[in-house]
Amino acid sequence: MSIDAERLQLPLARPNVLDLAPLYEVLRREAPIAPVTTPAGDPAWLVTRYEEVRLLLGDKRFGRSHPEPERASRISTAAVQDGPTGEYETEEADHARMRRLLTPAFSAKRMRMLSDHMDLLVDGYLDQLTAEHDAAGVVDLHSGLAFPLPVAMICQLLGVPEADHELFASLSERMAGTAIGEEAHQAREEFFRYMVGLVETKRPQLGEDVISDLIRAQSEDPSYDYAEMVRLCVGLLFAGHETTVNRIGLGVLFLMTNRERWDELVADPEGHVDAVVEEIMRLGAPGDLGLLRYAREDVDIAGVTIRRGDALVLSINAANRDASVYSDAETFNPDRPERTHLGFGHGAHFCIGASLARTELRVVFSALARRLPALRLAKDIDQLQVRATLTGGVAELPVTWR
Amino acid sequence: MKVVVDQEKCVGSGQCVLAADDVFDQRDSDGLVDLLDASPPQARSADVRHAAAVCPAGAILVED
Repeated sequence: MSIDAERLQLPLARPNVLDLAPLYEVLRREAPIAPVTTPAGDPAWLVTRYEEVRLLLGDKRFGRSHPEPERASRISTAAVQDGPTGEYETEEADHARMRRLLTPAFSAKRMRMLSDHMDLLVDGYLDQLTAEHDAAGVVDLHSGLAFPLPVAMICQLLGVPEADHELFASLSERMAGTAIGEEAHQAREEFFRYMVGLVETKRPQLGEDVISDLIRAQSEDPSYDYAEMVRLCVGLLFAGHETTVNRIGLGVLFLMTNRERWDELVADPEGHVDAVVEEIMRLGAPGDLGLLRYAREDVDIAGVTIRRGDALVLSINAANRDASVYSDAETFNPDRPERTHLGFGHGAHFCIGASLARTELRVVFSALARRLPALRLAKDIDQLQVRATLTGGVAELPVTWR
Repeated sequence: MKVVVDQEKCVGSGQCVLAADDVFDQRDSDGLVDLLDASPPQARSADVRHAAAVCPAGAILVED
């Protein structure tokens, strides 16, 4: 296999929901920063090697804003990661303010304190699934476990009514939709209006939750734009459930298709669960693109010159399978010696919800191993319905333990 | 072993707390790193070095 002299067209088609296009291996070796055409039809650089992805994520010469946003390359066909965000001049200060406001609420210690509450929730979901299973023989782990836990937790943390879950889940699904054209952007506007409604409903009686904190901060800081605050609330609600729902699904698929790893987890859930979670974070490859950055100045790296304003798609999926960093990089092996990955990103934009996600994944996979040791897929993995969204993943997870 | 943290660089990821919660904590006020033990025992070396390696901001320095 060799790389065409012409620009590659993203996305690179993948064989199934767990594996990546074989071309990524070639790119990492021969063209770690390659010129590509984005799904939206514009030029960008695709970065695939661990070293460069990590380096660029930690380099302040690359940001999420663009000096001339109207001339920036468009990336995805969804309404997420579709183009630049934020103000070019104030990006770093705006980002620092956001982190300062959010970091305490998502700290590792606070998230760990939520563990017992998550245990109770998951036990309840599994009781319900067990009852359904007794009657039907097959249950959907996606709708019965992978979805409700992250939704319940993010609603509690943000102060969003759980009763709204069908509405915001459907808005999230459409906003991240890659095959529905303009409707994705309509969904983003609807989501914005929903959030304005929620913010204004909460304002007279602010509580102990993240959205209340943001409303307070915005009302006290004249430089903090109202629309920016609302967009942040939308982003938190979207990313706060969408990503982890997906990851639980991918994790179950990895464990069900690597039975010996599942058996090890069942034999000693407490002893194995942390490593299992990290390996799910490394190998789970949601979506077909990556993290988006725009160069703030000209940069020479890995044999190419990136110009100010150029778009870069940093493929976390490809970097996390780099054979120069990981032994048997494509293999699901929680016992591997390498303990780091880029599943939560790196640098100033490191996932603010990492500790929340890790705690949720830990609770889910130890509970599954404890309570459903005979768990198996009730459908062939290639038959599972894959979501046509930016973050990918499966839309169903039929399982049985009979 | 001597540990130094840089609160200016810290992005509050909490990775260090997960790696070694007897050495690192996050401040309640801003979520930034709080060094609990600047000279941890040698037995903690692997976890402390891991914390430094996974810090997304490169805010932890370990000296022998």
